[in-house]
Amino acid sequence: MSDTPQKIVIVPCSGIGKSYGTVSRVAAYQVTEEDRPDQTQLIPLALLVMGDEDSRKILAESQAITIDGCKLACAKKMVQQSGGQVAKEFAVLDVFRRYRDFKPQGIAELNESGEKLADALAKEIDAVVDEFSAREEGSTHA
Amino acid sequence: MSTFLETTVDKFTFHVDPTCFFNSEGVWIRAEGDRARLGLSDFLQQRSGDIAFVEVKPAGTILSFGEEFSSIETIKVDIALSSPVSGRVVLVNPALENTPEVINQDPFGEGWLCEIELRNWDTDQPRLLNAAAYFEKMKREAEEEVKRK
Repeated sequence: MSDTPQKIVIVPCSGIGKSYGTVSRVAAYQVTEEDRPDQTQLIPLALLVMGDEDSRKILAESQAITIDGCKLACAKKMVQQSGGQVAKEFAVLDVFRRYRDFKPQGIAELNESGEKLADALAKEIDAVVDEFSAREEGSTHA
Repeated sequence: MSTFLETTVDKFTFHVDPTCFFNSEGVWIRAEGDRARLGLSDFLQQRSGDIAFVEVKPAGTILSFGEEFSSIETIKVDIALSSPVSGRVVLVNPALENTPEVINQDPFGEGWLCEIELRNWDTDQPRLLNAAAYFEKMKREAEEEVKRK
């Protein structure tokens, strides 16, 4: 059994053809690849839809943060249906309401405002990751 | 409680409240005495997408028929809404400030935009579509939109 703490799972929505879906994925990449690569890992929604056993196992043992682009909340629902616990859910629309100047446009590539919105969202996720990590560390040392 | 008119086009189901009148944009009005409530039709809110921000002219504003009284910013579009009647705004739905999504959730109910004190209802009303006429217009527009996709 490994002593290495489980990474926090990030699951973004896969809203193809929607700016808000792109924002969710760009933010997820920023968190998992640039901001907090040692504490987080990304699981693509498609693997959960396919019922991928490895992904379901990771989910069962980890805290999950979901990022949804619209009210359908596919990421959140898929994590729950895959047996995972959603520790924190983000909705791009809610974040946009806090950053009205950052109106996202573009799909394959976001406009500058969209990139700023993704960055703002990523920083909110970073803060949650730090909070979870600190809690985990506290319970390990208790 | 009224029974909504309902139609399904492609995978979308749209409702129309038979107690309302509508302008051609899809703004509804439900009059009671000298007051009326205004809001977005189900079709207009579904076509516009999830609402991020809504602004409505404040209480006390005098509106002419067709004058802009509200603007809405959704994930897809920014739209300006014109008043289906002339009158004075007496109340803006307080729920919109913190939960504008109520328009998407309940467009003919909790998602109303404002209340108006009517000035020329007898003159304005014949310029509007009744529910049956709006229902037919909405169906045509929805079907055309599906064909364009």
